[in-house]
Amino acid sequence: MSHVLNADVIALLEHPDTVRILATVDGQGVPHAVVKKSIHLGDDGNIHYLELLETSATNRNMVRSIWFDGTVAITLANPDGRSAQIKGRPVKAHITGPLFLHHYNRLKDIDADAELAAVWIIEPRLALDQTFAARRDAERASHPHFAHLDRLRR
Amino acid sequence: MLNPTRNRYRNEPAFDEVVAAHPDFPRLIALKIDVQRRGVLYTESAFRAVDPERHQLYTWGGVHYPHSLLLRDGTTVLANPQPEERDPYRVEYTEGRFVLVDEGEIIEEVEIWPRPRYYDKKTSSGLLMKEVVSARPQRLDIFASAFCHFAHAEDNGCKFCPLPAHHRQLRETYDLPTRLRAHDVKECIAEALKEPGRFTNIHITGGSVVKGKEILDAELSYYIDLLKHIGELFSTPRFPSQLLATAYNEKQLARLREETGLGSFTADIEVLNEEKFNWICPGKAHWIGYREWKRRLVDAVGVFGRGNVGTGIVGGVETAPPHGFTSESDALEATLSEAEDLAEKGVTTVHTVWVPQKGSEFHELKAPSLDYFIRLAKGLQGLRVKHGLSVDFDDYRRCGNHPDSDLARLQ
Repeated sequence: MSHVLNADVIALLEHPDTVRILATVDGQGVPHAVVKKSIHLGDDGNIHYLELLETSATNRNMVRSIWFDGTVAITLANPDGRSAQIKGRPVKAHITGPLFLHHYNRLKDIDADAELAAVWIIEPRLALDQTFAARRDAERASHPHFAHLDRLRR
Repeated sequence: MLNPTRNRYRNEPAFDEVVAAHPDFPRLIALKIDVQRRGVLYTESAFRAVDPERHQLYTWGGVHYPHSLLLRDGTTVLANPQPEERDPYRVEYTEGRFVLVDEGEIIEEVEIWPRPRYYDKKTSSGLLMKEVVSARPQRLDIFASAFCHFAHAEDNGCKFCPLPAHHRQLRETYDLPTRLRAHDVKECIAEALKEPGRFTNIHITGGSVVKGKEILDAELSYYIDLLKHIGELFSTPRFPSQLLATAYNEKQLARLREETGLGSFTADIEVLNEEKFNWICPGKAHWIGYREWKRRLVDAVGVFGRGNVGTGIVGGVETAPPHGFTSESDALEATLSEAEDLAEKGVTTVHTVWVPQKGSEFHELKAPSLDYFIRLAKGLQGLRVKHGLSVDFDDYRRCGNHPDSDLARLQ
């Protein structure tokens, strides 16, 4: 089980209203960030997501990441204002086997027309609380010079 | 540092050193090549951990071997067991996982191919289905005919090819017909398709049969009958499939396309150099010829469409002594130049890793260096990118035996 994800991040990850965005980078360094509804916490403590398109930009970038030790970022944002970011490394792509077949069958129940290219496993390396109030407090604590003076006026 | 065994068998730089010289080449694909090149030795711990209920096994000489391996990026590794003296990678089972071990160090976690559900079932004629249609991680494999005219009728088979000897033994062991019957194959595939999400492609191949009104007509008619039977299982007129056959003429290709639901056509030229082809593939050279083989591949593009026609080469066999290229750079240049000629005309070339195997005329020889295979894979994939060719029907998932088409995952 990963020790990177604390209870708050896990709660956010498990909340049904949380929007999940996966950001990857292509061979020229161009970022690609897309909503991936299937991002979830796997039983192994890693982040799992279902890739439905074999030749999608995300899938190609994920392959590049697993081949060349690249990092990806996942943004979680809930309508209630909570937000977090997870940086991680793709460590495995299931293209067959029990986990793949489990998701393939589950997916078919939801959308009979859906294909499944891979179940990607992302090992979290860092989790940041991106909720604005938390980020602002941290900024003020570590950079007290970064403030407009009118805000400090008596 | 080379170990003493490797010093005796191969005098070459270490894996990490070779990979470091190619920073743009994925380490996992380099590892796949090296494992194929050197083979594997399953240790006692691995044999003990193999579970016949979950893992795909085959029996050879009374031993139940894992069929093959998967790397963590989904890459397939088709590696043959090799004896210790050939310096193979070891497959061990430790801390709940299978691992590849070299010189005592764990190199990578691997998985044994999962076993399909249909494997234990029998056809209505009593054949064990796994012996009729075998499985790769996502592909159904039909080795339709053990007879190869070049090898069996004329003793003129391809010098690297162990398949005629191998399949003759298999068929004797399991009492299989020399040529599979279409209804047996159809029953197996029908059963395999009951497992959702398991398979993405059907691959059919077999030995060359020159008989017929025109040469190869008998081979063609057999495949058409087989494909028609298989086609009855699908709701679409075409289905993801690959026929790896002898190079047919344009009229035969048209029949194949019109009368079946076949998705793609491949005819392996094996060696991309006329002189080496004539020496290594004497049967193909005699009955078809190098230039005609290439011409027929181009004709196939006209029939099946760009991106649906390929040819395979046995990567490295062009360096086989005594008549092969003596320099790896000359071999690479010649091969890629010919592959580019084909790519310009819409034919994609993929390579396998030549492993000199028992049962083939070349079994005592050595495959070229890892560096050579990395350059070959990069070169062939580079040609696809340059000429806008796809290899969807023969990629890491539909096949898994071509390091160059593994690289197409980034294309």
